[in-house]
Amino acid sequence: MEVNLTINKKPITLNLKGNETLLEVLRDHLSLTGTKTACQETECGTCTVMINGKATLSCITLAANVQGEEITSIEGLAQGDVLHPVQQAFIEYGSVQCGFCIPGMIMSSVALLEKNPTPTQEEIEYALDGNICRCAGYPKIFEAVREAGKKMKNGPNTKI
Amino acid sequence: MALTPKSKFVDQYVDPVGKSVPRIEGRGIVTGQLKYVFDVQMANMLVGKMLRSPHPHARIISIDTSKAEALPGVKAIVTAQDTHQIKFGSNEYFFPHTVDQMALESLKVRYIGDELAAVAAVDEETADEALRLIDVKYEILPGVFEIEEAIKPGAPQIHESLNNIAVILPVNFGNPERLMKEADSVRESRFWCPVAHPSPMEPHVCVGQWETFTNKITLWSSSQAPFKCREALAKTLKMDLNDIRVIKMAVGGGFGGKLEMLPMDFAACLLSKKAGGLPVKICLTREEEFTTTRRKHGMIYKVKTGVKKDGTLLAITGEVLADGGAYCSYGPTVLAAAMMRIFMVYKIQHFRMTGYRVYTNNPISGAMRGFGGVQSGFAIESHMDLVAKDIGMDPIEFRLKNITEPNTVTVNKMILTTNGLKECIEKAVIASGWNQKRGKQKHLKRGIGIGIAADVMGSKMYKSHESAGAIVKVEEDGSVYLFTGAADTGQGSNTALSQIAAQALGVSFSRIKCKAGDTEITPFDTGSFASRVTFISGNAALLGGKDAKLQILEIVAKDNNLNIDDLDIRAEKVIFRKDNRVLMSFDKALELCYSFKYGKQIIGRGSYNPKTTPIDFRSGEGNVSGSYGFEAQIAEVEVDTDTGVVKVLELWDAHDIGKAINPQSVEGQIEGSLAMGIGYTFYEDLRFKNGRVLNANFAGYRVPRSIGLPKMNSLLVETDELEGPFGAKGMGEAALLPTAAAIANAVEDAIGVRIMELPITPDKIIKALKEQAM
Amino acid sequence: MLLNPLTLHLPKTRLEAARLYKELEDSKVLAGGTFLLNSMKLLKTKGTKTARNVLSLAKVEDLKGVTFQGDTLTIKAMTRINDLLASPLPDGHLKILHTVCKNISTNPIRNMATVGGNLTCRYTWTEMGAVMIALDAKMHFLGPDGKEDIIAPEDFFKNAARSEKLFTHVTIKTQGVARTAYRRVKKTVHVDIPLLAICVKTEIKDKKWYNTRIGINNGSAFAQRDPVLEEFLNKSSSSPDLGKEALNHLTNTIYDTRSSDYKQHMFRVSLKSAIEEISQKGTL
Repeated sequence: MEVNLTINKKPITLNLKGNETLLEVLRDHLSLTGTKTACQETECGTCTVMINGKATLSCITLAANVQGEEITSIEGLAQGDVLHPVQQAFIEYGSVQCGFCIPGMIMSSVALLEKNPTPTQEEIEYALDGNICRCAGYPKIFEAVREAGKKMKNGPNTKI
Repeated sequence: MALTPKSKFVDQYVDPVGKSVPRIEGRGIVTGQLKYVFDVQMANMLVGKMLRSPHPHARIISIDTSKAEALPGVKAIVTAQDTHQIKFGSNEYFFPHTVDQMALESLKVRYIGDELAAVAAVDEETADEALRLIDVKYEILPGVFEIEEAIKPGAPQIHESLNNIAVILPVNFGNPERLMKEADSVRESRFWCPVAHPSPMEPHVCVGQWETFTNKITLWSSSQAPFKCREALAKTLKMDLNDIRVIKMAVGGGFGGKLEMLPMDFAACLLSKKAGGLPVKICLTREEEFTTTRRKHGMIYKVKTGVKKDGTLLAITGEVLADGGAYCSYGPTVLAAAMMRIFMVYKIQHFRMTGYRVYTNNPISGAMRGFGGVQSGFAIESHMDLVAKDIGMDPIEFRLKNITEPNTVTVNKMILTTNGLKECIEKAVIASGWNQKRGKQKHLKRGIGIGIAADVMGSKMYKSHESAGAIVKVEEDGSVYLFTGAADTGQGSNTALSQIAAQALGVSFSRIKCKAGDTEITPFDTGSFASRVTFISGNAALLGGKDAKLQILEIVAKDNNLNIDDLDIRAEKVIFRKDNRVLMSFDKALELCYSFKYGKQIIGRGSYNPKTTPIDFRSGEGNVSGSYGFEAQIAEVEVDTDTGVVKVLELWDAHDIGKAINPQSVEGQIEGSLAMGIGYTFYEDLRFKNGRVLNANFAGYRVPRSIGLPKMNSLLVETDELEGPFGAKGMGEAALLPTAAAIANAVEDAIGVRIMELPITPDKIIKALKEQAM
Repeated sequence: MLLNPLTLHLPKTRLEAARLYKELEDSKVLAGGTFLLNSMKLLKTKGTKTARNVLSLAKVEDLKGVTFQGDTLTIKAMTRINDLLASPLPDGHLKILHTVCKNISTNPIRNMATVGGNLTCRYTWTEMGAVMIALDAKMHFLGPDGKEDIIAPEDFFKNAARSEKLFTHVTIKTQGVARTAYRRVKKTVHVDIPLLAICVKTEIKDKKWYNTRIGINNGSAFAQRDPVLEEFLNKSSSSPDLGKEALNHLTNTIYDTRSSDYKQHMFRVSLKSAIEEISQKGTL
């Protein structure tokens, strides 16, 4: 069947069988390997993408079921060479270690901050509770989210 | 002609050591472009899967692969018949008899998940179907699953060892029985330290490719120890080391689970051979990750101490029984570490402890982060609090009285040079407000507790040598390649080692490009474990940088008719040592090296072998490490006595790390370790029944998430280790060691309940409170 | 491929969906997908067949949304948990729905999972059942002929959450002023498998309790009411001891005395605390 998807603002038409998950479309069909999977059972969050600006697990999303929605993967955040404030903050605040959880963590963070650029600690914790990080213990991730939010609120020239 | 040198490299990180330089891989990580073996896609790549035993203990009567071979899309199947049937193990050097695992079994299976065969097919469905079509006839044998059952005479024998004991480690010094009689107070405790699992986010995954005409192998593996993997492959495949190339790409976490060759690495290579050289990728499912890789040793930890009224620790005796699972892996050294850490922390002359590494038909125990120190940390530090309470002494005072000091040699001949333990305790006490809180918050059901620990930071426990090598290649355009065998699994070694190399060479951080963990290109390195990388690999990188510097200075000195000893390179400048006067810029010096006249390639080499003495595992003697790190950790908790839920309010970890090469990375490691420590204390508990893992998924095996973690304070104590690169010792796992005890001690301070068996779960608290009320 | 071959059906209207619900053989309804697609993947790894037809409600616009008109709150089946959480609710006892939403799983799952899925998925331990019972909600089902059935949630669950018709929405009336309390217990703090959910709703006049409804989900049976406890509370008045006294009126089958000591302890602690919370909120 013909499936029309909008991924990272680009319309794509794929010839699919219909039983492909969005994760498989991203990784296997489009070679967008930034989105990972680590459990295949909704627990780890490494497959998180944004659909219509909401953090969504791509491993349990049927590609054919999200036609007409705005799909954003980690590859869609940077504007050319310019990193998204959240990406920039994750580097600057030392939030990245092994990195495997980071694409999903960033997607959840962006989804949060786009709606609420000044979240409370509790709001940050709740927004990220679907993303497991085994390395970082979370404090630096929280810090990066807070600081990125400030930049997103106050404009691109805000020094983080 | 040499290229015109540019000054683009001069940046804010001109003296990078001690600065929080952002991770080299940062940009790749946050854009999703950094490639892990997990992401590898190659043309005509086959999907490989392992055939695993469904029984915990059985004899293999027959394996019939004919139906599977006939399935369209199946390109190769391998069984033990295709192998040399050579066993492998991880403790071969010191304990040769513990080399007990076959990559593919043909005689017997010893745990649910034990590998018998592997298939390679065009896609996952076909591979799964092929596995179902392999017909194996088993004779089921009775299994044994509990440590104390396994060592009973008459228990089912798993290997050819007496009473299922793989290794007995007796550690004896002095005359503890006599000293125990002189004690004013004697206490005996028994603790249960449960099974945790490394659970890195990237599962074990590898791609094997066999060049069929030249018989060379390339294995891309998510590995913490590519050289160890190569060594094991060479052994089991009966090949030369040089014909095997193991490449480590970005690794999504290891935590001790990716330290050795696993049957899947072996199988991927062999399948590729049988499939005519097509690459074969094997990626474990999360369930396989939980059940068929490596887990923590569950330990029954018995300890008995005798102390004087004034708090002097006189004698320690005890017994440690470790559930090793079906094969030995790193078991013996983990067990040794679980006992011998005590010597790094407490002054003791009279000691008798026997460790038993026991086989069971459970999944395999290996070297999970903490390496026996998590178990001993919980047991010993909980016990010491009980001991202090017995004699009415404050736990801080008791520890200060008995801790090791700098520049001492322990009874088992460990040489402790710098030792910041006292400073760590003092720092943690002040930062946490201990004196205002201890024993004073019971009405709020709050408590505060301490645990202390030490760790080896540059140890040698596996091979004849564990030296690390580094090559520092300075290119004409001014960029610098650092080749290191060290395996960055996310802890930031690429960045830290680059900082060290840059500092040693005297240049800006941004010049350095790091190539790591490729057995064909980078020098040997044992791998990322035992928190050794900063110290051992760091020293190699330092020596490599220094060597390159000397090569440059040799040319400069010659050209300017100067004495090389008068010169140095620092912060991008060639200077006179005496008065720091600048002679020329680094780029200018390089131009000279690559000039028509000299044409000198600058290739610095470094090799570092930590100064240790061999461990005698019969006596427990030996200076196992070139450097030791120390810490004191304090936890403040609040208990909800209705629900039994213990909330950790705050953690303070004061850590003697020698020197922080990259403070942000050190904090990151501490925070990650603290989180893992909290996990171990409260909910990381891999449970088995009759050899089957009951909670082999993230729903059942909980790991720390964003909600409910305490505020974490990393207090770095820099004691400037002379032997360490720029004074550094390292930081990897140590913060994980005393967390459970600090929390258990805090719980006792809060509500008077003492938990002796982890994890601390609400039902245990409620039960204990009910018993307390009676 | 993670899923077996399937045919995806994407109706655009409720009626079309209701018709397909009746007509399709070997089919499952796809709401949020957090249960269905997860279990289909798992079954495939075990070599088990899964439904050939998947009836997706994703494009049925008139199954989405939360509206409040007059005295009736309407929550349509495809409302995502986080959308319900973000929907403004009238002040008062209906706000308990926000509390329930917050306690469901993790953030991305809350973005995907639906109220309808949570109620009709036929797992006994889901969260919405107890609160819908307590709030005296009505569940609406649509048949292929356009005829609607309205069923009380406790009756729906007594029938093991089975229905011949397609679930479309719940309606909740806000007659009277009521007080609610909700308690959700997890196996340990961090294991997200609900052991228990209790929702208590009552109207209080001069401290006396009226029209009390209690929805209990004990994790092993579908959500149910507790008539014995309700009867006791309807004869009682708010007081500091009411929670403690209520514990003498527990029905063994509902509170599952065969379960572990801790689980039983938490039943009692949660129930007592929920009743105390309402008691303390004062008279109306």
